[in-house]
Amino acid sequence: MLKYIISLSIVLGSVSLAAQSKPIDTKPKDTVVYEQSYGIRIGLDLSRLITSSLDENYTGAELVADYRLTQDLYIAAELGAEDKTQQEDLYNFNTSGSYIKVGVDRNTYANWYGEKNLIFYGGRLGFSSFSNTINNYQIFDNNRYWNPEAFATASETPEEFSGRTASWLEAVLGTKVELFPNIYLGASVRLGFLFTDANEGRFPILFVPGFNKVTWDSKFGVGYNYSISYFLPLYKKKNKIKKIAEEEKVE
Amino acid sequence: MKNFGFSILLLTCLLTVASCEKDDICVEGNTPLMVIEFFDINNRDTPKNVTALRVVGEGQTVTVNTVADRTALNKINIPLKTIEDSTSYLLISNSADNDDDVETGNIDIVNFNFARVEDFKSRACGFIVTYEELDAVLQTDTDNWIQEIEIIRAQIINSDSTHVKIYH
Repeated sequence: MLKYIISLSIVLGSVSLAAQSKPIDTKPKDTVVYEQSYGIRIGLDLSRLITSSLDENYTGAELVADYRLTQDLYIAAELGAEDKTQQEDLYNFNTSGSYIKVGVDRNTYANWYGEKNLIFYGGRLGFSSFSNTINNYQIFDNNRYWNPEAFATASETPEEFSGRTASWLEAVLGTKVELFPNIYLGASVRLGFLFTDANEGRFPILFVPGFNKVTWDSKFGVGYNYSISYFLPLYKKKNKIKKIAEEEKVE
Repeated sequence: MKNFGFSILLLTCLLTVASCEKDDICVEGNTPLMVIEFFDINNRDTPKNVTALRVVGEGQTVTVNTVADRTALNKINIPLKTIEDSTSYLLISNSADNDDDVETGNIDIVNFNFARVEDFKSRACGFIVTYEELDAVLQTDTDNWIQEIEIIRAQIINSDSTHVKIYH
């Protein structure tokens, strides 16, 4: 806010200086133009960092970034890596890999003067490269005649499925709020639609880094993130408003 | 803002649809049982009951839990091992105990050999086993009640149809 008071006083000061040498204009035109900051915003996903520290079976990190293109439109991307070990009823498996998501966000929040917050919706194209490891598994069998104590353990030897890939389309709904000058706290929920056939091969894809859990018999998945990010202003641009254009026409 | 409201509505709808899942209960499959039918050796198309049939897995101390014990039957479903490539069964006809609790029936031992195929059924089920290349070998003794064993289906993927015919 201080920035604007200073700039306001400078602008006003220059106006009054200029006015002295000219005839007094009783209706001086307001020349103060509010310019919006354009730049790049880079941050980290807090949820993945916190989950990593709390859950010993999970390690993950995500870098988030967006670049402001126009008044409402942002190019956005996420880059991350996840390593997750899951214990299901009859098997234990690990998914490890990295992902990238690229897309756009559209801000729908009408900021008041000086505000720089976002409530946005957007889309992403996601791509992940990962590997699966079955650590151990048992055979499911309703009949327990040969194994009365527990399901028969078929393997304790880790079996790796490397070089797996998955791609998906993601709808994003989120917000980014300026907490301190240029420091933003963000949250988003995501609904993904997986393009890749998850059920191919001996062991299907049950988790995709970045996409999250792959539900059986469904192409949809859900995810979320909480990000803290820093906005690096690169240049300022006047907001295009129809009203100004009309005034220019009058002149 | 209209757009925004619509996108919230759409997301809520999709989340509701996407959250319905059956990932916790295994309903997609099960390791199948092997189906054996007993036929008359003299009239090969006629099913023939085995009197007081008792079925015990080799190495087991209890009878198989899928067959009614010491009953006249012409069709049984029995489980095969899921982590070994062969399973042996003691098929006892006219099963009975004498006063000293010793089996007096006619014991025939059949070895079933097969190849196992592990099949990942679903997130809830995990792996089940199906069987291929089924083969049955009768251990010959002085008094076999089983005359002939015929493999009808060498692949066991379900328990709907007969895999093995035993003539007696």
